[in-house]
Amino acid sequence: MIVVDKLCYRSGLRYVNAGEKFAFSMITLLFCVISRSLVIAGIVFAVNAYLTVKKGHIAAKQYIKLLAVPFTFLILSTLAIIVNISKVPLDAYAIPVGSFFITGSFQSLLFGIQLIATAMASVTCLYFLSLNTTMTDILGVLTKLHCPEILTELMLLIYRFIFVLMDTASAIMVSQKSRLGNRDFRTSVNSFGKMAAGLLLRAFKRSNALYDAMESRCYDGKIRVLEENHPARKKEIAAIAVFELILLVLTIWRSFL
Amino acid sequence: MNTEEQDVIIEARDVHYAYEEGGPHSLNGVSLKIKKGRKVAFMGANGCGKSTFFLCCNGIYKPEQGTILFKGKPIDYSKKGLLDLRSRVGIVFQDPDNQLFSASVYQEISFGILNMGVPKEIAREEVDQVIGHLEITPFRERPAHALSGGQKKQVSIADILVMHPEVIILDEPAAALDAKHTKIVNQIVDGLAEAGITILMATHDIDYALSWADEIVLMQEGRVLRHADPVTVCTDQEALAMTNQEEPAVLKLFERLQKKGILKEGLKPPVNISELEHYIEASSNA
Repeated sequence: MIVVDKLCYRSGLRYVNAGEKFAFSMITLLFCVISRSLVIAGIVFAVNAYLTVKKGHIAAKQYIKLLAVPFTFLILSTLAIIVNISKVPLDAYAIPVGSFFITGSFQSLLFGIQLIATAMASVTCLYFLSLNTTMTDILGVLTKLHCPEILTELMLLIYRFIFVLMDTASAIMVSQKSRLGNRDFRTSVNSFGKMAAGLLLRAFKRSNALYDAMESRCYDGKIRVLEENHPARKKEIAAIAVFELILLVLTIWRSFL
Repeated sequence: MNTEEQDVIIEARDVHYAYEEGGPHSLNGVSLKIKKGRKVAFMGANGCGKSTFFLCCNGIYKPEQGTILFKGKPIDYSKKGLLDLRSRVGIVFQDPDNQLFSASVYQEISFGILNMGVPKEIAREEVDQVIGHLEITPFRERPAHALSGGQKKQVSIADILVMHPEVIILDEPAAALDAKHTKIVNQIVDGLAEAGITILMATHDIDYALSWADEIVLMQEGRVLRHADPVTVCTDQEALAMTNQEEPAVLKLFERLQKKGILKEGLKPPVNISELEHYIEASSNA
């Protein structure tokens, strides 16, 4: 969370209009999911990786590290599709284990790969948005899209207070460690519980103090703030339109194959 | 209403307040008058009621007994009345993390002024102006959590300044700041005072209060123990001891130099090092 937040503030694409980035990532994501095509997934993956690493100036190593998390999760969750335990060997591979086979069919193998590719390409769409767009800008776009105020306001407050509470949690943990609070597993679990309880109480106190502070600035139940303007550029809009058109053509073409 | 009464911007009459019904009182009959354009330092031990009184002045807490008057009129606790009061009396909280809620500095500063019903275009100009004035430009697009303590304090002052209040309440503005950022905040506060804004500031720094304030209010257990000019309050050893304060260093040194005969008797007590230095220079030249 902190890494993603830091990276988006340093991104070379930070000042590109948030609406453009939002539209690009969401429409591309939609084509990925609808088409379920390896070709489209490959193109989307390559384009998003290029934009994030090359244009967004995010280190390739860091990007790969971030992708490794969902990739590991996907591999583990698609194992059930790719790997079967059966008495009958299937066409792709079969490893005999006693009277059984660890086996898989070409069809399930292809389906598994397709699933991983689609999911990874979709992840790169979301990474493109989150690694190049600040939370403020995303909230601005959601407001313009008439997302319910209660949701955007909650997101705003949660985003701000995640960091405040993380700082508090970190300070409590350091204090616990300095007094041998993690001497063994038992004390660690005990300390963690106490930290969580303390954090909850502080969260309540902070929310009361925050409400007072907001009221003191004439808060009347609606959060009104100004948005920073980063105007959309025709060249960028045209590039996005061309790319999405290519994906659309590919999606239609693949559906007739 | 005579001229002196017209000058009074905030008046508290026997104000009592308790956080819990039937619980101990945080304010036990505060009575004082603050004149327009004055710099008033509020001092006292932790828990003496400074912050509670400030929140009463902003209408966040309603006294259970007594009255607070703003410009001679009792605070109107209706929604409209409170909005009007809060647009004129701004409060900068001690812990900026309790005040800054928004995802970016720019948005944060725009919150108060937009709540006052100012049109967006004017608000945008005002926000830009205050950002420039308080030298916030280098971090105007950063998120609040990425700011240093001093920067957060600058932003929390900008939050209030953009609303153009007549009174600014600063609750320990230099708390937890390093010397550099304390200096920056003090310069901002001096600028506000020069602009004629009434400033109420809670502080534990008696040396600063002596040199900066026009008046010092010394509070003890929810009451005003002393309210006078800084020199009178800072030389009242008994009152200082009762409120866990120590005499300012410059006054201590001044008294010792007088006792040793280095400085002559009858001199007006200095309020800062420069004045004392001037006395010493004059005495050595004589």
